[in-house]
Amino acid sequence: MSQSLRPYLKCVRSSLTAAISLSNFASQTAERHNAPEIEAGRTPEVILNPLVIARNENEKVLIETSINSIRVSIKIKQADEIEHILVHKFMRFLTQRAENFFILRRKPVKGYDISFLITNFHTEAMLKHKLVDFIIHFMEEVDKEISEMKLFLNARARFVAEAFLTPVSSFHGAAVLSWG
Amino acid sequence: MSPTLTANYRLIDIDALDADAQFPPELLNPPCPPVGISEIQGLAGQCRQLLQRGDQEGALKVALENVPYGGDEAGKDLHLQTILEILSSIRSSEMANTLSRLSSLPNGTELLDVLTKYIYKGMKDASSGAGSGGKMSVLLSWHEKVVDIAGEGSIVRCMTDRRTV
Repeated sequence: MSQSLRPYLKCVRSSLTAAISLSNFASQTAERHNAPEIEAGRTPEVILNPLVIARNENEKVLIETSINSIRVSIKIKQADEIEHILVHKFMRFLTQRAENFFILRRKPVKGYDISFLITNFHTEAMLKHKLVDFIIHFMEEVDKEISEMKLFLNARARFVAEAFLTPVSSFHGAAVLSWG
Repeated sequence: MSPTLTANYRLIDIDALDADAQFPPELLNPPCPPVGISEIQGLAGQCRQLLQRGDQEGALKVALENVPYGGDEAGKDLHLQTILEILSSIRSSEMANTLSRLSSLPNGTELLDVLTKYIYKGMKDASSGAGSGGKMSVLLSWHEKVVDIAGEGSIVRCMTDRRTV
């Protein structure tokens, strides 16, 4: 792990551990409803100050906390256009399968690439420290995955280009003779 | 036909029309005495003098004790710049000692909570503008040291305190 990544992830870990203190809270505006307050936004007194943790302007995490839910949004490093496309495709692949991921939000918060929505029902069914571990692990792995995919894409492009140009280079002499 | 009838009536927010259901913002945010920008500038000058004398810890203490909760955005940004200047002037080997001396003061917990608020605000401001990576790494290492000493409680207090910096 690089030197500047470690304090970043440590900061995210401690902030998440502090933020995931959720309890059941029924809606105050609609009877017999129980919605994540951070999404409903109808009760300003149970929504806490949002926190932003940034490593640089391209890599940051937004943690929005409320009494019964927390929304974690991650902006993944995108150094160039290939990485931008890869991140977009990869995140679309994940969010389309949000049903199976439980804590994944279907749509990222504006300005970020992927969002997680953790409610008190998730913290009741799952272990809190494992949830935090999962998000940290995701952040570690996704950077690695994206740069790996980029290398693979470049290698494949080179191979394809060579394969395309092989017949041209070998038939070049023959073509000149027959048309000559 | 009036526009309310043509609009989808299920989407009308009827709670917004009910005076009893309103939650006034002054109940949410505790009243803070207003702080003028000249006062904050004076504070910044005082901190700079302490820094020039080599008393970084004193400067940090003064800056954290006089938080302009009631100031406007420009004043708050100015105080943030003062604190960032002090933080970047303290060497990384001195961070832990400075913080443990601060936390042993009678109002030490409060000072560290305020510092946590400014660390998060610094990261938020720098990430939306053209911030440099160097400033972030300073803030991240300060954050690590503060959490080591004050614990995760300081983050919780920073999230729940309505007196924003």
